[in-house]
Amino acid sequence: MTFIKTLAVATVMTAAAGSAMAQEASKLQEVLDRGYLVLGTGSTNPPWHFMDSDNTLKGFDVDMGRLVAKALFGDPDKIQYVQQSGDARIPNLVTDKVDLSCQFMTVTAERAQQIEFTIPYYREGVGLLLMANGDYADYDALKAAGDDVTVAVLQNVYAEEMVHAALPEAEVDQYDSVDLMYQALNSGRAEAAATDQSALRWFMVQNPGRYEDAGYAWNPQSYSCGVKPGDQRWLNFVNTVLHEGMTGVEFPFYAESFKTWFGEELAVPKIGFPVEYK
Amino acid sequence: MNLLDGLGDTILISVSSVVLGTILGVFVGLAMTYGQRWLRFIVRLYIDFLRGTPVFVLILACFYVLSVVGVDLTAFQAGVLALTLFCSSHVGEIVRGALSAIAVGQTEAAKSIGLTFMQTFVYVLLPQALRQILPTWVNTATEIVKASTLLSIIGVVELLLATQQVIARTYLSLEFYLFAGFVYFLLNFVIEQAGRAVERRISIP
Repeated sequence: MTFIKTLAVATVMTAAAGSAMAQEASKLQEVLDRGYLVLGTGSTNPPWHFMDSDNTLKGFDVDMGRLVAKALFGDPDKIQYVQQSGDARIPNLVTDKVDLSCQFMTVTAERAQQIEFTIPYYREGVGLLLMANGDYADYDALKAAGDDVTVAVLQNVYAEEMVHAALPEAEVDQYDSVDLMYQALNSGRAEAAATDQSALRWFMVQNPGRYEDAGYAWNPQSYSCGVKPGDQRWLNFVNTVLHEGMTGVEFPFYAESFKTWFGEELAVPKIGFPVEYK
Repeated sequence: MNLLDGLGDTILISVSSVVLGTILGVFVGLAMTYGQRWLRFIVRLYIDFLRGTPVFVLILACFYVLSVVGVDLTAFQAGVLALTLFCSSHVGEIVRGALSAIAVGQTEAAKSIGLTFMQTFVYVLLPQALRQILPTWVNTATEIVKASTLLSIIGVVELLLATQQVIARTYLSLEFYLFAGFVYFLLNFVIEQAGRAVERRISIP
Protein backbone atom coordinates (compact mmCIF):
# COMPACT_ATOMS: atom_id res chain seq x y z
CA MET A 1 0.00 0.00 0.00
CA THR A 2 2.72 2.46 1.05
CA PHE A 3 4.68 1.41 -1.97
CA ILE A 4 1.79 2.26 -4.27
CA LYS A 5 1.31 5.54 -2.44
CA THR A 6 4.97 6.43 -2.84
CA LEU A 7 4.80 5.50 -6.49
CA ALA A 8 1.70 7.65 -6.98
CA VAL A 9 3.32 10.62 -5.22
CA ALA A 10 6.47 10.21 -7.26
CA THR A 11 4.45 10.03 -10.46
CA VAL A 12 2.51 13.19 -9.59
CA MET A 13 5.72 15.00 -8.69
CA THR A 14 7.42 13.93 -11.89
CA ALA A 15 4.41 15.05 -13.89
CA ALA A 16 4.34 18.39 -12.08
CA ALA A 17 8.05 18.92 -12.63
CA GLY A 18 7.58 17.91 -16.25
CA SER A 19 4.82 20.44 -16.85
CA ALA A 20 6.78 23.15 -15.04
CA MET A 21 9.70 22.45 -17.34
CA ALA A 22 7.44 22.47 -20.38
CA GLN A 23 6.23 25.91 -19.38
CA GLU A 24 9.72 27.25 -18.97
CA ALA A 25 10.68 25.85 -22.33
CA SER A 26 7.89 27.69 -24.16
CA LYS A 27 8.81 29.56 -27.32
CA LEU A 28 7.21 32.61 -25.72
CA GLN A 29 9.96 32.88 -23.09
CA GLU A 30 12.64 32.07 -25.65
CA VAL A 31 11.46 34.91 -27.92
CA LEU A 32 11.15 37.37 -25.03
CA ASP A 33 14.68 36.55 -23.86
CA ARG A 34 16.06 36.87 -27.37
CA GLY A 35 14.52 40.32 -27.79
CA TYR A 36 13.18 39.92 -31.32
CA LEU A 37 10.77 37.73 -33.26
CA VAL A 38 11.98 35.50 -36.10
CA LEU A 39 9.20 35.72 -38.66
CA GLY A 40 8.98 33.52 -41.73
CA THR A 41 7.31 35.14 -44.72
CA GLY A 42 7.75 35.58 -48.46
CA SER A 43 8.94 38.53 -50.50
CA THR A 44 7.29 38.23 -53.90
CA ASN A 45 3.51 38.47 -53.40
CA PRO A 46 1.93 41.86 -52.84
CA PRO A 47 -0.18 42.85 -50.99
CA TRP A 48 0.76 39.97 -48.66
CA HIS A 49 4.53 40.15 -48.45
CA PHE A 50 6.82 41.97 -50.85
CA MET A 51 10.05 43.93 -50.99
CA ASP A 52 9.21 47.58 -51.43
CA SER A 53 11.39 49.96 -53.42
CA ASP A 54 12.89 51.24 -50.14
CA ASN A 55 14.23 47.71 -49.50
CA THR A 56 11.88 46.83 -46.63
CA LEU A 57 9.37 44.01 -46.45
CA LYS A 58 5.78 45.19 -46.46
CA GLY A 59 2.31 43.72 -46.74
CA PHE A 60 -0.58 42.33 -44.75
CA ASP A 61 1.28 39.17 -43.67
CA VAL A 62 4.21 41.31 -42.58
CA ASP A 63 1.83 43.52 -40.58
CA MET A 64 0.45 40.47 -38.76
CA GLY A 65 4.02 39.65 -37.72
CA ARG A 66 4.54 43.27 -36.68
CA LEU A 67 1.38 43.04 -34.57
CA VAL A 68 2.86 40.06 -32.73
CA ALA A 69 6.23 41.84 -32.28
CA LYS A 70 4.39 44.87 -30.90
CA ALA A 71 2.60 42.62 -28.42
CA LEU A 72 5.90 41.03 -27.37
CA PHE A 73 8.17 44.04 -27.11
CA GLY A 74 5.98 47.12 -27.55
CA ASP A 75 7.85 47.65 -30.82
CA PRO A 76 6.56 46.30 -34.15
CA ASP A 77 10.03 46.56 -35.71
CA LYS A 78 11.70 43.98 -33.46
CA ILE A 79 11.60 41.33 -36.14
CA GLN A 80 14.21 39.32 -37.96
CA TYR A 81 12.68 38.23 -41.26
CA VAL A 82 13.40 34.89 -42.83
CA GLN A 83 12.43 35.15 -46.47
CA GLN A 84 11.07 31.80 -47.52
CA SER A 85 9.40 30.27 -50.54
CA GLY A 86 5.89 28.87 -50.18
CA ASP A 87 7.27 25.32 -50.04
CA ALA A 88 9.51 26.25 -47.11
CA ARG A 89 6.72 27.36 -44.78
CA ILE A 90 6.17 24.03 -43.05
CA PRO A 91 9.79 22.73 -43.06
CA ASN A 92 11.08 26.02 -41.59
CA LEU A 93 8.57 25.81 -38.74
CA VAL A 94 9.24 22.16 -37.97
CA THR A 95 13.04 22.62 -37.98
CA ASP A 96 12.81 25.74 -35.73
CA LYS A 97 14.22 28.13 -38.33
CA VAL A 98 11.37 30.54 -37.56
CA ASP A 99 9.17 31.28 -34.52
CA LEU A 100 6.11 32.06 -36.58
CA SER A 101 5.13 31.92 -40.23
CA CYS A 102 2.63 34.38 -41.67
CA GLN A 103 2.61 33.80 -45.40
CA PHE A 104 -0.93 33.61 -46.86
CA MET A 105 -1.18 30.02 -45.71
CA THR A 106 -4.49 28.37 -46.54
CA VAL A 107 -5.75 26.31 -43.63
CA THR A 108 -6.12 22.68 -44.70
CA ALA A 109 -6.53 19.51 -42.67
CA GLU A 110 -3.39 18.00 -44.26
CA ARG A 111 -1.25 20.92 -43.13
CA ALA A 112 -2.87 20.91 -39.69
CA GLN A 113 -1.42 17.42 -39.22
CA GLN A 114 2.10 18.82 -39.56
CA ILE A 115 1.92 22.24 -37.90
CA GLU A 116 -0.53 24.15 -35.75
CA PHE A 117 -2.58 26.98 -37.21
CA THR A 118 -3.45 30.15 -35.37
CA ILE A 119 -6.92 31.63 -35.70
CA PRO A 120 -7.50 32.99 -39.22
CA TYR A 121 -6.75 36.66 -39.92
CA TYR A 122 -8.23 36.86 -43.42
CA ARG A 123 -10.70 34.94 -45.57
CA GLU A 124 -9.53 34.66 -49.14
CA GLY A 125 -11.80 34.00 -52.10
CA VAL A 126 -11.84 34.38 -55.87
CA GLY A 127 -13.38 37.54 -57.31
CA LEU A 128 -13.94 39.12 -60.72
CA LEU A 129 -12.19 42.31 -61.78
CA LEU A 130 -13.95 44.51 -64.38
CA MET A 131 -13.01 47.71 -66.19
CA ALA A 132 -14.82 50.61 -64.50
CA ASN A 133 -16.30 51.78 -67.82
CA GLY A 134 -16.76 48.31 -69.34
CA ASP A 135 -19.79 46.70 -70.99
CA TYR A 136 -20.75 44.69 -67.93
CA ALA A 137 -21.66 46.41 -64.71
CA ASP A 138 -21.53 43.53 -62.27
CA TYR A 139 -21.62 39.78 -61.70
CA ASP A 140 -25.28 39.43 -62.70
CA ALA A 141 -24.62 41.11 -66.05
CA LEU A 142 -21.64 38.80 -66.68
CA LYS A 143 -23.70 35.74 -65.83
CA ALA A 144 -26.59 36.84 -68.05
CA ALA A 145 -24.21 37.31 -70.99
CA GLY A 146 -23.38 33.58 -70.99
CA ASP A 147 -20.69 32.58 -73.48
CA ASP A 148 -20.26 36.14 -74.80
CA VAL A 149 -17.99 36.75 -71.85
CA THR A 150 -14.30 35.85 -71.82
CA VAL A 151 -12.61 35.58 -68.43
CA ALA A 152 -8.85 35.93 -68.07
CA VAL A 153 -7.29 33.76 -65.38
CA LEU A 154 -3.85 32.75 -64.18
CA GLN A 155 -2.79 29.39 -65.63
CA ASN A 156 -3.70 26.57 -63.28
CA VAL A 157 -4.93 22.97 -63.51
CA TYR A 158 -8.23 23.95 -61.91
CA ALA A 159 -8.57 27.38 -63.58
CA GLU A 160 -11.38 26.43 -65.96
CA GLU A 161 -13.33 24.56 -63.30
CA MET A 162 -12.86 27.48 -60.89
CA VAL A 163 -14.23 30.10 -63.29
CA HIS A 164 -17.13 27.88 -64.33
CA ALA A 165 -18.18 27.53 -60.70
CA ALA A 166 -19.23 31.19 -60.88
CA LEU A 167 -19.84 31.70 -64.62
CA PRO A 168 -20.78 28.29 -66.05
CA GLU A 169 -20.89 29.36 -69.72
CA ALA A 170 -18.04 31.87 -69.89
CA GLU A 171 -15.02 31.37 -72.15
CA VAL A 172 -11.83 30.94 -70.15
CA ASP A 173 -8.45 32.27 -71.34
CA GLN A 174 -5.46 31.21 -69.26
CA TYR A 175 -2.36 33.38 -68.95
CA ASP A 176 1.17 32.67 -67.75
CA SER A 177 1.60 35.64 -65.49
CA VAL A 178 -0.40 38.23 -63.59
CA ASP A 179 0.71 41.11 -65.82
CA LEU A 180 -0.47 39.29 -68.96
CA MET A 181 -3.80 38.56 -67.30
CA TYR A 182 -4.35 42.24 -66.45
CA GLN A 183 -3.16 43.17 -69.94
CA ALA A 184 -5.91 40.99 -71.43
CA LEU A 185 -8.49 42.89 -69.40
CA ASN A 186 -7.00 46.29 -70.30
CA SER A 187 -6.91 45.53 -74.03
CA GLY A 188 -10.44 44.14 -74.12
CA ARG A 189 -9.38 40.57 -74.97
CA ALA A 190 -11.22 39.58 -71.80
CA GLU A 191 -14.25 41.18 -70.14
CA ALA A 192 -13.24 40.12 -66.65
CA ALA A 193 -10.21 38.76 -64.80
CA ALA A 194 -10.76 36.09 -62.16
CA THR A 195 -8.21 36.34 -59.39
CA ASP A 196 -7.83 36.21 -55.63
CA GLN A 197 -9.99 38.78 -53.88
CA SER A 198 -6.92 40.20 -52.14
CA ALA A 199 -4.93 40.62 -55.38
CA LEU A 200 -7.95 42.25 -56.97
CA ARG A 201 -8.36 44.68 -54.07
CA TRP A 202 -4.66 45.54 -54.13
CA PHE A 203 -4.76 46.19 -57.86
CA MET A 204 -7.72 48.52 -57.32
CA VAL A 205 -5.83 50.33 -54.54
CA GLN A 206 -2.93 50.89 -56.92
CA ASN A 207 -5.12 52.05 -59.82
CA PRO A 208 -7.92 54.05 -58.22
CA GLY A 209 -11.05 54.56 -60.36
CA ARG A 210 -9.85 52.36 -63.20
CA TYR A 211 -11.34 49.03 -62.17
CA GLU A 212 -14.36 47.60 -60.38
CA ASP A 213 -15.04 44.52 -58.32
CA ALA A 214 -17.95 42.57 -59.87
CA GLY A 215 -19.24 42.03 -56.35
CA TYR A 216 -19.24 38.27 -56.16
CA ALA A 217 -16.65 36.07 -54.46
CA TRP A 218 -16.44 32.32 -54.15
CA ASN A 219 -13.98 29.55 -53.15
CA PRO A 220 -13.52 30.58 -49.50
CA GLN A 221 -10.18 29.78 -47.83
CA SER A 222 -8.96 30.79 -44.38
CA TYR A 223 -5.52 32.33 -44.04
CA SER A 224 -3.74 31.67 -40.75
CA CYS A 225 -0.26 31.98 -39.34
CA GLY A 226 1.43 28.74 -38.34
CA VAL A 227 3.57 27.64 -35.39
CA LYS A 228 5.55 24.50 -34.60
CA PRO A 229 3.18 21.95 -33.01
CA GLY A 230 3.30 21.10 -29.33
CA ASP A 231 3.70 24.53 -27.73
CA GLN A 232 0.26 25.52 -26.49
CA ARG A 233 1.53 28.54 -24.57
CA TRP A 234 3.06 30.13 -27.67
CA LEU A 235 0.06 29.24 -29.85
CA ASN A 236 -2.33 30.77 -27.31
CA PHE A 237 -0.25 33.91 -27.15
CA VAL A 238 -0.24 34.46 -30.92
CA ASN A 239 -3.96 33.65 -31.05
CA THR A 240 -4.69 36.22 -28.36
CA VAL A 241 -2.68 38.87 -30.22
CA LEU A 242 -4.45 38.22 -33.54
CA HIS A 243 -7.84 38.02 -31.86
CA GLU A 244 -7.41 41.36 -30.09
CA GLY A 245 -6.13 42.84 -33.35
CA MET A 246 -9.40 41.96 -35.02
CA THR A 247 -11.75 42.70 -32.10
CA GLY A 248 -10.00 44.53 -29.26
CA VAL A 249 -7.34 47.03 -28.24
CA GLU A 250 -5.20 46.56 -31.34
CA PHE A 251 -8.12 46.96 -33.75
CA PRO A 252 -6.80 50.33 -35.06
CA PHE A 253 -3.50 48.66 -36.06
CA TYR A 254 -5.30 45.81 -37.86
CA ALA A 255 -7.85 48.14 -39.48
CA GLU A 256 -5.19 50.51 -40.75
CA SER A 257 -3.26 47.67 -42.31
CA PHE A 258 -6.46 46.31 -43.87
CA LYS A 259 -7.21 49.73 -45.33
CA THR A 260 -3.67 50.09 -46.71
CA TRP A 261 -3.55 46.76 -48.53
CA PHE A 262 -7.20 46.07 -49.39
CA GLY A 263 -8.57 49.63 -49.61
CA GLU A 264 -11.46 48.83 -47.34
CA GLU A 265 -12.51 50.66 -44.17
CA LEU A 266 -13.53 48.11 -41.54
CA ALA A 267 -16.45 48.77 -39.19
CA VAL A 268 -15.42 49.05 -35.54
CA PRO A 269 -16.37 45.87 -33.62
CA LYS A 270 -19.68 46.38 -31.88
CA ILE A 271 -19.27 47.47 -28.26
CA GLY A 272 -21.18 45.50 -25.63
CA PHE A 273 -21.85 41.81 -26.13
CA PRO A 274 -18.69 40.13 -27.56
CA VAL A 275 -18.91 39.91 -31.36
CA GLU A 276 -17.54 36.36 -31.49
CA TYR A 277 -20.64 34.85 -29.85
CA LYS A 278 -23.26 36.44 -32.07
CA MET B 1 19.76 48.93 -55.54
CA ASN B 2 17.82 45.76 -54.89
CA LEU B 3 19.05 44.06 -58.03
CA LEU B 4 22.59 45.24 -57.36
CA ASP B 5 22.50 43.62 -53.91
CA GLY B 6 21.21 40.44 -55.53
CA LEU B 7 23.99 40.48 -58.11
CA GLY B 8 26.52 41.03 -55.31
CA ASP B 9 25.19 37.98 -53.48
CA THR B 10 25.25 35.88 -56.64
CA ILE B 11 28.90 36.80 -57.22
CA LEU B 12 29.85 36.25 -53.58
CA ILE B 13 28.12 32.84 -53.50
CA SER B 14 29.67 31.75 -56.79
CA VAL B 15 33.20 32.92 -56.00
CA SER B 16 33.29 31.42 -52.50
CA SER B 17 31.78 28.12 -53.67
CA VAL B 18 34.19 27.81 -56.59
CA VAL B 19 37.25 28.75 -54.52
CA LEU B 20 36.39 26.47 -51.58
CA GLY B 21 35.16 23.73 -53.91
CA THR B 22 38.36 23.85 -55.94
CA ILE B 23 40.62 23.62 -52.87
CA LEU B 24 38.60 20.69 -51.56
CA GLY B 25 38.41 19.21 -55.05
CA VAL B 26 42.19 19.20 -55.52
CA PHE B 27 42.55 17.12 -52.34
CA VAL B 28 39.80 14.83 -53.53
CA GLY B 29 41.58 14.40 -56.85
CA LEU B 30 44.94 13.76 -55.14
CA ALA B 31 43.36 11.19 -52.84
CA MET B 32 41.76 9.49 -55.83
CA THR B 33 45.09 9.25 -57.65
CA TYR B 34 47.66 8.59 -54.93
CA GLY B 35 45.61 7.43 -51.94
CA GLN B 36 45.61 4.01 -50.36
CA ARG B 37 42.96 1.59 -51.56
CA TRP B 38 40.62 2.28 -48.59
CA LEU B 39 40.93 6.06 -49.06
CA ARG B 40 40.25 5.77 -52.77
CA PHE B 41 37.14 3.74 -51.98
CA ILE B 42 35.79 6.37 -49.58
CA VAL B 43 36.57 9.25 -51.93
CA ARG B 44 34.99 7.36 -54.83
CA LEU B 45 31.79 7.03 -52.76
CA TYR B 46 31.94 10.77 -51.96
CA ILE B 47 32.32 11.76 -55.61
CA ASP B 48 29.65 9.39 -56.89
CA PHE B 49 27.21 10.37 -54.19
CA LEU B 50 27.60 14.10 -54.81
CA ARG B 51 27.66 13.88 -58.57
CA GLY B 52 24.64 11.59 -58.57
CA THR B 53 22.53 13.92 -56.45
CA PRO B 54 20.69 16.89 -57.99
CA VAL B 55 22.15 20.20 -56.72
CA PHE B 56 18.67 21.18 -55.63
CA VAL B 57 18.43 18.18 -53.32
CA LEU B 58 21.92 18.94 -51.96
CA ILE B 59 20.85 22.48 -51.11
CA LEU B 60 17.70 21.33 -49.32
CA ALA B 61 19.68 18.67 -47.46
CA CYS B 62 22.33 21.15 -46.28
CA PHE B 63 19.62 23.52 -45.07
CA TYR B 64 17.13 21.15 -43.45
CA VAL B 65 18.84 17.84 -42.68
CA LEU B 66 21.79 19.54 -40.97
CA SER B 67 19.47 21.59 -38.76
CA VAL B 68 17.68 18.40 -37.66
CA VAL B 69 21.00 17.02 -36.40
CA GLY B 70 21.74 20.31 -34.62
CA VAL B 71 23.99 22.17 -37.09
CA ASP B 72 22.15 25.43 -37.61
CA LEU B 73 23.44 27.15 -40.73
CA THR B 74 21.92 30.27 -42.22
CA ALA B 75 20.39 29.89 -45.67
CA PHE B 76 23.44 31.61 -47.17
CA GLN B 77 25.93 29.31 -45.40
CA ALA B 78 23.93 26.19 -46.22
CA GLY B 79 23.77 27.24 -49.86
CA VAL B 80 27.50 27.89 -50.13
CA LEU B 81 28.20 24.55 -48.42
CA ALA B 82 26.00 22.69 -50.90
CA LEU B 83 27.58 24.35 -53.93
CA THR B 84 31.08 23.84 -52.50
CA LEU B 85 30.47 20.11 -52.06
CA PHE B 86 29.00 19.87 -55.54
CA CYS B 87 31.94 21.79 -57.02
CA SER B 88 34.51 19.70 -55.15
CA SER B 89 33.17 16.44 -56.57
CA HIS B 90 33.46 17.76 -60.11
CA VAL B 91 36.90 19.31 -59.59
CA GLY B 92 38.04 16.08 -57.90
CA GLU B 93 37.10 14.08 -60.96
CA ILE B 94 38.76 16.60 -63.30
CA VAL B 95 41.99 16.59 -61.27
CA ARG B 96 42.06 12.82 -61.11
CA GLY B 97 41.63 12.60 -64.88
CA ALA B 98 44.39 15.14 -65.54
CA LEU B 99 46.87 13.54 -63.12
CA SER B 100 46.36 10.02 -64.39
CA ALA B 101 46.96 11.26 -67.95
CA ILE B 102 50.54 12.17 -67.03
CA ALA B 103 52.94 9.29 -67.71
CA VAL B 104 54.09 7.44 -64.56
CA GLY B 105 57.69 7.88 -65.79
CA GLN B 106 57.60 11.54 -64.80
CA THR B 107 56.78 10.81 -61.17
CA GLU B 108 59.49 8.16 -61.15
CA ALA B 109 61.99 10.57 -62.70
CA ALA B 110 61.11 13.22 -60.10
CA LYS B 111 61.58 10.65 -57.36
CA SER B 112 64.96 9.60 -58.75
CA ILE B 113 66.32 13.14 -58.62
CA GLY B 114 65.19 13.37 -55.00
CA LEU B 115 62.07 15.52 -55.12
CA THR B 116 59.56 15.09 -52.30
CA PHE B 117 55.96 14.28 -53.15
CA MET B 118 54.93 17.90 -52.59
CA GLN B 119 57.74 19.17 -54.84
CA THR B 120 56.86 16.62 -57.50
CA PHE B 121 53.27 17.76 -57.39
CA VAL B 122 53.99 21.48 -57.51
CA TYR B 123 56.88 21.53 -60.03
CA VAL B 124 56.24 18.51 -62.24
CA LEU B 125 52.63 17.40 -62.17
CA LEU B 126 50.58 20.54 -61.51
CA PRO B 127 51.90 22.66 -64.42
CA GLN B 128 51.07 19.86 -66.83
CA ALA B 129 47.75 18.98 -65.22
CA LEU B 130 46.65 22.61 -65.20
CA ARG B 131 46.45 22.71 -68.98
CA GLN B 132 44.15 19.72 -68.90
CA ILE B 133 42.12 20.98 -65.97
CA LEU B 134 41.45 24.55 -67.02
CA PRO B 135 38.84 24.21 -69.80
CA THR B 136 36.67 21.79 -67.80
CA TRP B 137 37.17 23.79 -64.62
CA VAL B 138 35.83 26.92 -66.35
CA ASN B 139 32.77 24.87 -67.30
CA THR B 140 32.27 23.87 -63.68
CA ALA B 141 32.53 27.51 -62.57
CA THR B 142 29.79 28.57 -64.99
CA GLU B 143 27.66 25.63 -63.76
CA ILE B 144 28.03 26.96 -60.22
CA VAL B 145 26.93 30.45 -61.25
CA LYS B 146 23.81 28.94 -62.80
CA ALA B 147 23.21 26.63 -59.84
CA SER B 148 23.33 29.61 -57.46
CA THR B 149 19.83 30.54 -58.70
CA LEU B 150 18.53 27.50 -56.81
CA LEU B 151 19.41 29.17 -53.50
CA SER B 152 16.36 31.39 -54.01
CA ILE B 153 14.28 28.39 -52.88
CA ILE B 154 15.73 28.51 -49.36
CA GLY B 155 15.35 32.30 -49.26
CA VAL B 156 18.79 33.62 -50.21
CA VAL B 157 18.15 36.91 -52.00
CA GLU B 158 20.50 36.38 -54.93
CA LEU B 159 19.93 37.88 -58.36
CA LEU B 160 16.98 35.64 -59.30
CA LEU B 161 14.98 36.20 -56.11
CA ALA B 162 15.81 39.93 -56.19
CA THR B 163 14.47 39.98 -59.75
CA GLN B 164 11.30 38.18 -58.67
CA GLN B 165 10.85 40.74 -55.90
CA VAL B 166 11.00 43.58 -58.42
CA ILE B 167 8.56 41.78 -60.73
CA ALA B 168 6.12 41.27 -57.85
CA ARG B 169 6.11 45.02 -57.32
CA THR B 170 6.05 46.19 -60.94
CA TYR B 171 4.33 43.34 -62.87
CA LEU B 172 7.03 43.70 -65.58
CA SER B 173 7.90 40.01 -65.74
CA LEU B 174 9.18 39.70 -69.30
CA GLU B 175 11.43 42.75 -69.08
CA PHE B 176 13.08 41.85 -65.79
CA TYR B 177 13.50 38.14 -66.52
CA LEU B 178 15.18 39.07 -69.80
CA PHE B 179 17.42 41.47 -67.93
CA ALA B 180 18.36 38.83 -65.34
CA GLY B 181 19.05 36.34 -68.12
CA PHE B 182 21.33 38.85 -69.79
CA VAL B 183 23.24 39.51 -66.55
CA TYR B 184 23.78 35.77 -66.01
CA PHE B 185 25.01 35.47 -69.57
CA LEU B 186 27.37 38.38 -69.01
CA LEU B 187 28.78 36.82 -65.84
CA ASN B 188 29.47 33.51 -67.54
CA PHE B 189 30.83 35.20 -70.64
CA VAL B 190 33.37 37.05 -68.50
CA ILE B 191 34.35 33.80 -66.76
CA GLU B 192 34.81 32.02 -70.08
CA GLN B 193 36.86 34.83 -71.59
CA ALA B 194 39.06 34.97 -68.50
CA GLY B 195 39.52 31.21 -68.72
CA ARG B 196 40.51 31.46 -72.38
CA ALA B 197 43.02 34.20 -71.61
CA VAL B 198 44.67 32.09 -68.93
CA GLU B 199 44.65 29.09 -71.27
CA ARG B 200 46.51 31.09 -73.90
CA ARG B 201 49.05 32.26 -71.35
CA ILE B 202 49.92 28.81 -70.10
CA SER B 203 49.74 26.98 -73.41
CA ILE B 204 52.99 25.61 -74.78
CA PRO B 205 53.80 27.53 -77.95
